[in-house]
Amino acid sequence: MSAKPEITLEHFYVFNGTYAKKEGEEEKKILYYYPSKIDLDSQIKNIGLSEAIIKFTESFNPGQACDYCHTHKTRQIYFQPEPDFWMVMIVGVPRVWKVKDGTQFMEYQNEEVSSNVCQAILRQTYTMFRLFMGSFDTILNDPECGSVLLLKHKLDHFYSRYLLSLKLNNSDILDVFQGLQFLPLDKTTFLRVQCFMNLVEAMFSQVKYTAFLYNDQLVWSGLDPEDMQVVYNYLISTLLPAYLEKELHGGSMPRNSPSPFTSSHYGKFVTGPSSINEPNGTGKLPRVYINYSTIPISLYLVVYRALSATICLFVDSKTSLVMDFFKSLDTFLGPQLTTLVSSVAEQCSKHVTIVADSSPKYLYFNKLNLAYKSTIHLDNRRCSNVLTTPEVLRIITDINNDTNKLKEAGEVIIKTMSDYWVVGKLSNLREFFVVIQQKNANLIEIDDEVKRLCEQQLKSIFFH
Amino acid sequence: MLWNVNRKRKFINSGKTKVFSCSAMATKETVSVGDGIAEPGIEPGASAETMLVTTDSFEEYEQEMSSSIDDKHMKESTTSTISEIQEEVQDIPVTPTPTSPVDLKKVASPDDPELEDISYQFGQTSLDVDPLRSKAWLAQKKHVFVLSQAGKPIYSRHSSEDKLVTVMGVMQALVSFVQDGNDMIRSVHAGDTNFVFVVKGPLILVSVSKTLESVPQLVLQLTYVYNQILSVLTQSQLTRVYDQRRNFDLRRLLTGSERLIDHLLNFMDREPAFFLGAVKCLPLLPSMRDSITQTIVQTCGKIKNLVFAILLANNQLVTLVRMKKYFIHPADLHLIQNLVDSSESFKSAESWTPICLPKFDSNGFMHGHVSYLAEDCQACLLLLTVDRDVFFTLSDAKQKIVEKLRRTNCLEAINESMNKTSVTTGEIGLPEMRHVLYKCRSTAQFWSPGFQSPYTTDEEVERLLGLYQCLHHRLHAPSRPLKLIFQQLDKETMLAWVTSGFELYVTFEPLVTKPDAINSVSKLLKWIKKEEERLFILNSPTF
Repeated sequence: MSAKPEITLEHFYVFNGTYAKKEGEEEKKILYYYPSKIDLDSQIKNIGLSEAIIKFTESFNPGQACDYCHTHKTRQIYFQPEPDFWMVMIVGVPRVWKVKDGTQFMEYQNEEVSSNVCQAILRQTYTMFRLFMGSFDTILNDPECGSVLLLKHKLDHFYSRYLLSLKLNNSDILDVFQGLQFLPLDKTTFLRVQCFMNLVEAMFSQVKYTAFLYNDQLVWSGLDPEDMQVVYNYLISTLLPAYLEKELHGGSMPRNSPSPFTSSHYGKFVTGPSSINEPNGTGKLPRVYINYSTIPISLYLVVYRALSATICLFVDSKTSLVMDFFKSLDTFLGPQLTTLVSSVAEQCSKHVTIVADSSPKYLYFNKLNLAYKSTIHLDNRRCSNVLTTPEVLRIITDINNDTNKLKEAGEVIIKTMSDYWVVGKLSNLREFFVVIQQKNANLIEIDDEVKRLCEQQLKSIFFH
Repeated sequence: MLWNVNRKRKFINSGKTKVFSCSAMATKETVSVGDGIAEPGIEPGASAETMLVTTDSFEEYEQEMSSSIDDKHMKESTTSTISEIQEEVQDIPVTPTPTSPVDLKKVASPDDPELEDISYQFGQTSLDVDPLRSKAWLAQKKHVFVLSQAGKPIYSRHSSEDKLVTVMGVMQALVSFVQDGNDMIRSVHAGDTNFVFVVKGPLILVSVSKTLESVPQLVLQLTYVYNQILSVLTQSQLTRVYDQRRNFDLRRLLTGSERLIDHLLNFMDREPAFFLGAVKCLPLLPSMRDSITQTIVQTCGKIKNLVFAILLANNQLVTLVRMKKYFIHPADLHLIQNLVDSSESFKSAESWTPICLPKFDSNGFMHGHVSYLAEDCQACLLLLTVDRDVFFTLSDAKQKIVEKLRRTNCLEAINESMNKTSVTTGEIGLPEMRHVLYKCRSTAQFWSPGFQSPYTTDEEVERLLGLYQCLHHRLHAPSRPLKLIFQQLDKETMLAWVTSGFELYVTFEPLVTKPDAINSVSKLLKWIKKEEERLFILNSPTF
């Protein structure tokens, strides 16, 4: 047996059908096409098919956009992020060679691919693009050089790298939730964090919004939750892992040469100047576009880290980014954050509960504040670091999918062929899943087990 | 060709539950907590003998899926069950001569021509506008379309297919475009609507559905529609006409059969038999049923070439006698039920009808003597033979059967059971239980009680069936089959449970407690066990 068959990214394209006014101009519709090696004719043909499918479903279903299409070998996901703009992602279904009656044939494992998860990934590719490049509309209407050409250029610039980082095979229900992990803190410590962040905003008027994370967990955010979802995802799955990696490899270099201005502290810029003493410039700061639900604005994203704490500062894009600005930030943030983080750490150590391997695993998500908690996933970096089988994760996705369709609240208890019990409780926009592996258990025992777990972990949350 | 009854079971046993075997396990009652519900030792209705081919509908689906992409499976079976029987029984081999299309048209459309005309005109006038612009048409819960690979309209469920030339053209284009890329379009999903495509032989079948049914279930329904077409034409004839002319207008051969497809589709919307892949029996005292069966066996035993004798009442099976070695597939029996239920004309006169049973032999016609037993007993007897010249022999046989049945009070027994309203779970003494579907896997038979409040309107019944279908789909999801689902939702609590012996789908009051639910399931199983001889056919009589 070879390695586990994988889902592959076959095509990914962005098009706008209204850009081709007459026949022969089809090429104009294409804004981005992956893989770029494919000849233009095939690109036009594939986009043509997508347009036909979109039109076909619309003719039966006015007002409801096409979501996805299954073929024997692929899954095609459709998403219309902005009027007339369509994004299509086509993934190849995992396949294996099988032998039946002496003849070899290719089996396509269609059931292994979850359309919901793929849809969530496609949405992510758009929100991530919008975070860093702005919406398609913003780009087209850029007062200086807005044009279709600019849009094409930006799409190419962004996706040619971003698509390579897609983790189609390690994606699961967490991608559907796009949740945030919050750090539970006692009132005093939480207020200290909040005070500190307010102080930063007051001291530096250029700072429009702030966010505070401890490890992978969010403590405070002034951002719109929808924007925080995307920023959080970027920090946790891209920026911070890359930064930590770099730190680790550069281990021999002084962690932070004691700053000449202040007493020693552990603060460092993750985005921005790599060292305050570096004379050659402030480094390249990412610009982010947020607030699309109201008035979109573009801001600089400054990320500052001390020990396990990470601070995000969203800085007015009109600010001139001179070294002095960063120096004063560092002087202010460094020492204060270093002391703050130790008290947060102290609080956290009180909360650590050691989970026995055999005890039930759970996953909780609250749609209202986007909070999630999982003891199924060891971390949230999508590295298949999960404590259960892919089958169980898929069943959780199925339950989520079905109950969304039924639009009803309640409880579902499932026993799989491999004797896993999966329990889903859904009510008040909250979802709670428990996975128990226990042979010979019966429904009542499982029910008791889940009640116990709810009592322990979700005391204050009401399920009917 | 012979179907193996003990098919390979794609089923993992949990050590605790019993594997179905030919032993008389049905009588054993071991108390175990295998799945934590009840005593899985009981398998009411289990029997080592069966006249039905037992398959699960999802096996069917897998077969559909693999066969439509692999051409090697596509080739028609070269063996013909019908000619096999003819060769075996007669000394002189006779090759089946399919009835000519013209003959067929006459026999297969026994409906009143006048009635036909009126409904035709009605269809014309009500939809003079483009259906795709009609809100009412678009709001239909489930559309079904049949077209040829060349894009010619053949059938549409909710409007005259003439009006749909363009949209069917698009469907054909989508299918053939994806085919060009060596792939096959399966389904498209937009909001709450599923578009499902099935390509079978020279035909394309499309379902556009807003129901909760899963893609495999919709594929199964389209396969039934395809089989319904085959049952009128045979596969060989269907292939031949398109081989000769790709552009052939199949409606010419199917005139009068639209009503069969219409009826089949409505039938599938309200009958769990289809997705369960099972048949329901008319409850009868075992002695009465035996006496009916024996009467048929004795009267028809001497008639050569008689393959099946089937007695149906209220769409339920009274008895089925088969030729040794040959079994009937539930899917074929469903087509027969559909034929009987949709043809009022059988009530007025005995008929001689060619019918192709696609699972039995998709390339040849059987000939059916179809008649109702008597004015005062509306059970329908079908005598299916491979011999096309025995109408009068069978007609005589039928008369004799009816006389004997009358003498032995069997007609009365049938009537009594037909006129009795089905028992409800409330009457069984299970107040927390509203409804149930019980399928015995070894015999492909199922039982369900009568509907009671709140399932008293068509909408509620349909909603309930939709929920059952959801559960059925999840239990049998091709790559993730489950053992048990217990779900407590707003309007009802439901349990779906599959063991090696049976499948059970139960609907409870929404606020039932788990111990109460489990208790009542145990009671239910015991009740079915007690009544099994009345509710199921436990033997498999042959001529």
